[in-house]
Amino acid sequence: MRRLLVRSSLRHLGGHPWLTALSLLGIALGVAVVVSIDLASGSALRAFERSTDAVAGRATHQVVGGSSGLDERVYRDLRLRRDAPVSAPVVEGHVQAAVGDRRTLTVLGVDPFAEAPFRDYAKGEAVGDVGALLTEPGTVLLSARAAQSLGITSGGELPVRVEGVEKRLRVAGLLTPSDEDTARAVEALVLTDVSTAQEVLGQVGRLTRVDLRIRDEAEAQRLQAALPTGTELVRASARAGTVEQMTRAFRTNLTALSLLALVVGMFLIYNTMTFSVVQRRGLLGRLRAVGITRGELFALVLGEAAVLGAVGTVAGLLLGVLLARGLVGLVTQTFNDLYFVVSVRALALEPFTLAKGLVLGLGATLVAALVPAWEAARSAPVTTMRRSTLEDVSRSRAPRLAVLGLVVLAAGTGMLTWPTQALLPAYGGLFSVLLGSALLVPWVTERLSSVAALPLGSTFGLLGRMAARSVRTSLSRTAVALAALMVAVATTVGVGLMVSSFRGTVVSWLDTSLQADVFISPPSLVARRGGATLVPGLEERLRSTPGVAASSTLRVASARVDGVPTDLLAIDFTRTQARPYRFKEGNPETVWRELESSPDALLVSEPFSFHRRVRVGDTVRLTTDRGPHDFRVVGVYFDYGSDVGTMLMPRTTYERWFDDRGVSGVALYAAPGQDVDALVASVRERAGDSQALLVRANRSLRQASLEVFDRTFTITQVLRLLAIGVAFVGVLSALMSLQLERARELAVLRATGLTPGQLWGLVSLQTGLLGLLAGLFSVPLGMALAYVLVHVINQRSFGWTLRLAVSPETLVQAVLLALVASALAGLYPAWKMARANPALALREE
Amino acid sequence: MPPSDTPPLVELRDVTKAYAEGDTVREVLSGVQLSLHRGEFVVLLGRSGSGKSTLLNLISGIDVPTRGEVRVDGRNLGSLSERERTLLRRERVGFIFQAFNLLPTLTVEENVRLPLELNGHGAAESGAKARALLERVGLRERARSFPDRLSGGEQQRVAVARALAHAPPLLLADEPTGNLDEATGRQVLDLLEGLTRQGNACALVVTHEPALVSRADRVLSMEGGRLVEREHARREAR
Ligand SMILES: Nc1ncnc2c1ncn2[C@@H]1O[C@H](COP(=O)(O)OP(=O)(O)OP(=O)(O)O)[C@@H](O)[C@H]1O
Ligand SMILES: [Mg+2]
Repeated sequence: MRRLLVRSSLRHLGGHPWLTALSLLGIALGVAVVVSIDLASGSALRAFERSTDAVAGRATHQVVGGSSGLDERVYRDLRLRRDAPVSAPVVEGHVQAAVGDRRTLTVLGVDPFAEAPFRDYAKGEAVGDVGALLTEPGTVLLSARAAQSLGITSGGELPVRVEGVEKRLRVAGLLTPSDEDTARAVEALVLTDVSTAQEVLGQVGRLTRVDLRIRDEAEAQRLQAALPTGTELVRASARAGTVEQMTRAFRTNLTALSLLALVVGMFLIYNTMTFSVVQRRGLLGRLRAVGITRGELFALVLGEAAVLGAVGTVAGLLLGVLLARGLVGLVTQTFNDLYFVVSVRALALEPFTLAKGLVLGLGATLVAALVPAWEAARSAPVTTMRRSTLEDVSRSRAPRLAVLGLVVLAAGTGMLTWPTQALLPAYGGLFSVLLGSALLVPWVTERLSSVAALPLGSTFGLLGRMAARSVRTSLSRTAVALAALMVAVATTVGVGLMVSSFRGTVVSWLDTSLQADVFISPPSLVARRGGATLVPGLEERLRSTPGVAASSTLRVASARVDGVPTDLLAIDFTRTQARPYRFKEGNPETVWRELESSPDALLVSEPFSFHRRVRVGDTVRLTTDRGPHDFRVVGVYFDYGSDVGTMLMPRTTYERWFDDRGVSGVALYAAPGQDVDALVASVRERAGDSQALLVRANRSLRQASLEVFDRTFTITQVLRLLAIGVAFVGVLSALMSLQLERARELAVLRATGLTPGQLWGLVSLQTGLLGLLAGLFSVPLGMALAYVLVHVINQRSFGWTLRLAVSPETLVQAVLLALVASALAGLYPAWKMARANPALALREE
Repeated sequence: MPPSDTPPLVELRDVTKAYAEGDTVREVLSGVQLSLHRGEFVVLLGRSGSGKSTLLNLISGIDVPTRGEVRVDGRNLGSLSERERTLLRRERVGFIFQAFNLLPTLTVEENVRLPLELNGHGAAESGAKARALLERVGLRERARSFPDRLSGGEQQRVAVARALAHAPPLLLADEPTGNLDEATGRQVLDLLEGLTRQGNACALVVTHEPALVSRADRVLSMEGGRLVEREHARREAR
């Protein structure tokens, strides 16, 4: 319809290239952050699913055992049954290649004769000597791709490390799947027969599971009844869901943080659009006078926003994909540190994620533009401009907005304190807090700038007074800029404080939980879990090292709770007095007595209690090697090592219910006067080289734990940096637009005799004042955000109690960020105005 | 045809307009009565600040009266919605604003085309019309310039061309020759008057120039918030 109107809009945007570019950047960054997080964690999950699918094959059900798998006799007995189902034995575990990029490989031990119904690639679409798998022990098949990048040929040797022990495998042939999907799935796979896998993984006589194909529920029930105690029949599909669940909180939290960046982006868009409306008040009034209806103006402004949104979003998608390439490594690292072994070699570009990013970006832009569009539509047709009356209106509106802000804040607080575990009200509350604070800004600014006029006036004279007054007299524009700034900077404060609080909590938790002097464990592929097993016999040798006064051992096992594999810690307390745990629930005086005297008592960690809604006095049903058994929860301990939750029981209890006798770690307490470094040295010596062990003094384990912690927060820090980037862009664009908008006023000043230097001083004073105000406003809001993130959002996603610690650096950083950005923002307009011919500027309307 | 035989194009009944500034209320127009008919070329005189621009705003529906009734083409503006008022203005009124009010983001030609396109004319047709009009105000070669590059008088002529573009039945002109030299001013007035008579339209022209009075069919004057008709200045229609 109105081609001329559209042209007018485009010229307006094009006439302010800097502002347009900055707001595009704001949208693009917001979208990019959301999309990249989604793509990166999606890719990691997909890679994991692909590899589990590949090894799970076409099984409908699986027979699984207790913490150490199941006896291979279970499989033999199953085969001997008259109505034997289609089945295949599986031994599965992870090893690390000791050559090339030291990638993690999944060892899959199968019976080639039983495999056909389950996995295609195992049939022998391989080149090389497949027959050797069966006849020659220690031979494996490796994917052609992996072999190539590790530099191994068929017939060559593949050295691997398993829990600190190096082993050599012979590659009898290469797997060369014909299609890409299978090729990806088997990329990290070492295929071998059952006995070689058992040998390599140190599980002689045990199977990880038995894969089954069962036709109907009746058959499943019949089978379940016939299975020996300590084994369980589960659906194969349950497995992928577990992974999804395990990482859900982590991913939700990342998504929330990335959405926060988008919200900041929204404020920037709002700022830009409001500016472009305010700037064009005269133009819009004239359009109304010429006969443009309100509806048409509304559509016009929304249309402009849609164009900006579309361009910004598309740029954001591209940027997001680039960013995701960087982030996928970080996410994979975190998954490996915390949850499971996965290697991601390619970014999966999910069309759904990209579509979501598109909708989010466009939607956010349009929503942010609604209020400015409405403002534009409200423009009265005017024939002569009277700015001061407009500003009067916005000044008189300030107290009313402030009241509205208080109402929104109250509503937000209500949502946050609402007794529920749901996350949606929490995010709603968070958003309301941001919005409510933004609404308070005009009124507070008005008050503060009239207060600031006095000192500024006496320091800088007339120019100082002008600087302060202009903040006040152009409140309709300054307030919007300030609100956008405040939100942007406060977000970085909030996230920064959250991370430092988290770290502080973890540090003090490590102080309580790491009390022994020397810790020994085999290297484990999942850093925080550490479920590797010490070579038999080594444990006693280490514990009896001279100079050791007391010791304990740890077993990290996996037990099924209602079918879900969960970490179970078994600790031998018999040779130490130390009980390095703090309790959230349960009386520390009585808990230990109860725990160590009763064979069916256990402790659960805070996240476990949170996720499963289990408290002291409740019971937890574990699948043990003696069959399912109910354990009584006698205490809930603080634990920041696993967000999924862990259980803890004394070694005596563990051995009563499980057949596993392995030990995952030993902790030694030095005798009084014993030098710890000397103790570490003698432990190393006694360990010999049967197994490469990590022998660490208290200090270095602490260090290592914090490193893992910091690594898992790298991605949050990256997000925070991006938020700072968005905030910076925000400060820049808000303040720059403010100054550019005053071009005419500045030209009048130049015409009446202000030197370029004085002009520069005036502009810097103004932007500096605004930057300072924004920085100051963002401090309380940032602390409020941190409070919400720590005590509501983190609590509800992970179930962790964290202590909020306010680090002054973060606050100072925020104010500096605002000041530096505002100083920069003043440069361009001041430079432009100082150079501009005042006569020209005066003509511009 | 005597004007009184047709219904008036513009009719003001007892119109009062007051502005509030802080606590004080100032009545700018008090009980104004007025009828304008098609074919009339009417001049409005009055001292600065007497309320001439205010009156024009009320007639165009840009502003609303504090009391009283404004009718254009038989329709009571007070009973129309904001949207209907806007559309009425778009179709029926050409307004030459005292402050020009050209759109800085559109070129001279585009400014003139705007009312045409708003009223549904095609691009080619409106372009040709706009250029023809610019030719007549002597600005043909500035068609592609932006308004801020034009002198005050040039801007004024663009504003005149824009107001005349869609040949509205009602033309409101607020000091259309205020910034022009005598010769150019006369040219612009010839154009205004010619188009008014040719299209059987009605023009209400605010001016301080005595020369204009001789051309007018009627001469009105704002005095103390009321409209006074100067009978002696009336001329026979051609
Ligand atoms: N929005 C407003 N608020 C307050 N007073 C106003 C407003 N608009 C106009 N006025 C006042 O109304 C009076 C009439 O204004 P108007 O613009 O109609 O005068 P005018 O006759 O057109 O003057 P001039 O010949 O100088 O253009 C003036 O005193 C002016 O100050
Ligand atoms: Mg006037």
